[in-house]
Amino acid sequence: MLVLLLAALGFRCAGPEGDETLRIAMIPKLVGIGYFEATEQGAREAARELDVELVYDGPTDARTEDQIKMIDGWMAQGFDVIAVAPNDPEAISRTLRSAGERGALVLTWDTDANPELSRRSVFVNQAPNRAIGHTLVDIMAEGVQAQGASLPGDYLIVSGTPTASNQNTWMKYMRERIREKYPEMRLLQHLTPGEDQQKCQEQTAEALSAHPHLKGIWGITSVSFPAVAKAVRDANKIGQVEVTGLGMPEEMREYVKDGTVREFCLWDPVDLGYLTIRVAHRLKRGPLPPGRYDFGRLKGVEVRDGEVLLGPPLIFDAGNIDNYNF
Amino acid sequence: MSRLDRVGAGVETALPGKRSKRWLFGLLPWVLLALALLLVFSQVRRPALLVDVWVPWIEVGTLAFVMTAIILTGGIDLSVGSMVALTGMVQAVLWQDWGWSIEAAAAGALLAGALAGGLNGLLVVAGLSPLVATLATMALYRGLAITVAGGERITGFPQSFLDMGRLLGVPSQFWLAGLIFLGMVLLVHHSRFGRWCFAMGDNRQAARFAAVPVNKVEGVLYTINGLVAASVAVLGAMRHDASIPDAHIGTELQVIACVVVGGTLITGGRGTVLRSLLGLAVISHLDVGLQFLSSRLVWLTAESRLIAIGILLILVAVWNQRSQKEN
Repeated sequence: MLVLLLAALGFRCAGPEGDETLRIAMIPKLVGIGYFEATEQGAREAARELDVELVYDGPTDARTEDQIKMIDGWMAQGFDVIAVAPNDPEAISRTLRSAGERGALVLTWDTDANPELSRRSVFVNQAPNRAIGHTLVDIMAEGVQAQGASLPGDYLIVSGTPTASNQNTWMKYMRERIREKYPEMRLLQHLTPGEDQQKCQEQTAEALSAHPHLKGIWGITSVSFPAVAKAVRDANKIGQVEVTGLGMPEEMREYVKDGTVREFCLWDPVDLGYLTIRVAHRLKRGPLPPGRYDFGRLKGVEVRDGEVLLGPPLIFDAGNIDNYNF
Repeated sequence: MSRLDRVGAGVETALPGKRSKRWLFGLLPWVLLALALLLVFSQVRRPALLVDVWVPWIEVGTLAFVMTAIILTGGIDLSVGSMVALTGMVQAVLWQDWGWSIEAAAAGALLAGALAGGLNGLLVVAGLSPLVATLATMALYRGLAITVAGGERITGFPQSFLDMGRLLGVPSQFWLAGLIFLGMVLLVHHSRFGRWCFAMGDNRQAARFAAVPVNKVEGVLYTINGLVAASVAVLGAMRHDASIPDAHIGTELQVIACVVVGGTLITGGRGTVLRSLLGLAVISHLDVGLQFLSSRLVWLTAESRLIAIGILLILVAVWNQRSQKEN
């Protein structure tokens, strides 16, 4: 206890006390998982470059009440910026609003809060839906051609729940890309087995036997993607049916190594953390009207009304997958 | 303070040497409190905003005041966090799905709290160990809280309701805590009911023989606990404009920790409500202080804060046990 106390006092004397140093508190949905460790890595990188004080801390379980507790604490400590990835977009909004009314700059990242209720300044959005939809189609086409096959044939999307708005938006842009660039790809009616690994796998296996000319399958949720890969591997269709989608490198590593999956994509969480801190720093100097900006090593980042869009998604393959641990 | 201390400490010893040692033992919580306050106030830059930081802890304290009385009788209520979540969801569902006015829904939540607490009391009176009975209802009430609205949190309460979240510029949680504190001090330390509580905790069998209405005391206490849990839930909904089914998981442990750190004997018979306030002050400021400190010390993560609090609890428990042996 005494050690702690001395440490506290010591740091108080030595720490950056000048009011010029920007103090940013960044809160993930929870700590201790690879994804949010990757975002922390990027955030710390930006904080070093900009010489700002960064606290990156979050609840051990993804719970809103713990996030609220921490935000109220940081406000009392006089932090200038609160950057939050809300566990619940609604329940946290009143806390964010009162933080904003008390002079803090409030922004959201990874997941938005209710923009009207929370009155957050911007949302740093990692998933520009159009880019994700288009990239998914592009890497499928590349993959099929890399196998030496021709594009025409049947293709299938395995989604999650029918009402998930982000997945439905991605599918919209996937269809758009297919229409514009690859009209010879024929889309079957997409599957919505729910966020259930077992069902995803069963329904994919049924589709594989029902459609012998299936050339490629997308799994567009982090649940459906590994399930699709497993179904294709179990059916001994590696090399005949191309599999790609959106997923976490950690979960997909084995399928990339054994050749079931050649390439897949996701946004880069390191860049997301980096961009969030950069945007916070920039917003403290003034408003950010829509346009394109350079944020440190991220060039030409698109800023829309109330939203900052992280660039194109990151593509993983056998060559780079071992560099990521989320 | 000293008067209440004596009520709780039981038999007075005459030896001067022992007396000075007891004084020393009583010092630990105060030392910890001073340390914790130092931690908090050396880090705070906008002290006025501490009011918001205290709110979740004031909720814990409100529940701890009632829990003190329950523990004094030799009982315990592990279901208290689940009751807060359940009654909060009951209010939200009555309002949103059943079309009740928000005031009627709040009354409904209080009724649900009384029923939930009453069931706890009934089980205990029926002869179940309080630990087992409330362990079971902890799961039961949590399950119900998640079921009533399909696991969804409910938001969007009327503005007039949310406006009651503050009274005279202070979060309503503080007023509730003050009220419950006064009520429990009167009930436990200045009434016949309170003397029954101590007698039951001291020796349950003897209390029965001395015509203490054991069943009545238990029924009343567990029901009060449910009612207070519901009040905490209603005020929580006002503050956050949300009722959350998985809220207050683990709150029961914080509540019990406040009571124990305050020096109330976990087996009953000894303790005071005022000392639970001290326990609350120690635990809350240590937790807040460690969170504040973690913004300067990168290694002080959420996990290591848990470890620190755990070590502290062990320390205090050992200390309390030794000091009771001294007596």
